[in-house]
Amino acid sequence: MVGVLKKTTGLVGLAVSQNPHERLRILYSKILASLQTIPKDAAYRTYTEQLINDRFDLVKSEPDIEKLERKINCGQIEEVIVQAENELSLSRKMVEWKPWEPLIEEPPTNQWKWPI
Amino acid sequence: MAASLCRFVRGGFGRNFGFVSRSPALVHARFDSTTTETRPTVRPKDEVTHNQLSAFGEYIAEILPKYVQQVQVTCFNELEVMIHPDGVVPVLLFLRDHTNAQFKNLTDQTAVDVPSRQNRFELVYNLLSLRFNSRIRIKTYTDELTPVDSAVPVHLAANWYEREIWDMYGVFFANHPDLRRILTDYGFEGHPFRKDFPLSGYVEVRYDDEVKRVVAEPVELSQEFRKFDLNSPWEVFPAHRESKDTPKLE
Repeated sequence: MVGVLKKTTGLVGLAVSQNPHERLRILYSKILASLQTIPKDAAYRTYTEQLINDRFDLVKSEPDIEKLERKINCGQIEEVIVQAENELSLSRKMVEWKPWEPLIEEPPTNQWKWPI
Repeated sequence: MAASLCRFVRGGFGRNFGFVSRSPALVHARFDSTTTETRPTVRPKDEVTHNQLSAFGEYIAEILPKYVQQVQVTCFNELEVMIHPDGVVPVLLFLRDHTNAQFKNLTDQTAVDVPSRQNRFELVYNLLSLRFNSRIRIKTYTDELTPVDSAVPVHLAANWYEREIWDMYGVFFANHPDLRRILTDYGFEGHPFRKDFPLSGYVEVRYDDEVKRVVAEPVELSQEFRKFDLNSPWEVFPAHRESKDTPKLE
């Protein structure tokens, strides 16, 4: 087993993950799969795909957990897993809401004027 | 639309997002000054933070054009995003779950009453991102009768905030688990923070010895309420006159 498994994350309710690379691989591929159903020109799809692909490449290239955490630069690897899970649920809801469509309704005149 | 991509790294944490040169929703209100400011009592302009925040505001406006109506960065470097009331839950969920945003804390939720507008109540949500150490403000609008979707499914902290807004302003939140009064007395009628609610209220309470309980009676002021008009006849801020034709970015 390469590397020593750390005892605790230091965060309440967040357990140390046994195989973070595998878990991240699964999550990132699921996110990319759910992004395929969004139209290609949607900004959410382009930015999220770029972000997830960057992180995915880092995960694939770096086997050491410490160095991977430092490269991704977003907290501990367990927190990165939580972020990926949130992004997955968000992408599924985005498919439902379709926020790339044009504005629903313009605000009434002087709605956002300040001072009145 | 060709988007030019450049990376912004802020304060040690990498938040990677592409920068787009134009956005229909961003409102620029900058006064160009040719002379540098030397007075020590004037806050120095922090251009770097201002530009970072406006770039992030454009990023949000580009991803959620269905709901975002306007984005602005105040002179104190606070990012404000104005959205349509239908988009409360989607925008809050996006800001909570998206990896580049992660605004997991709902710091505050309030309402502002501006009676002259068509939609008199302006709902304000203040969010904080611990990961990226940044704050954002989401603003929506509603009138007295239109319900707004509750933010409780997204942030549990919104529970009591929405109860307070219901109690004080009368804004109804749909899908709230328990929307009831929180600050006013049990049989209180009216919404006290509205601008048309008088300062001393309509009823006052006293203990009546005959009926041996607290009774509510119409309020009796010993002195008529005095309202002072404190506006001076001279122009107060000559440097901030409203220009007749504001250039809108279309």
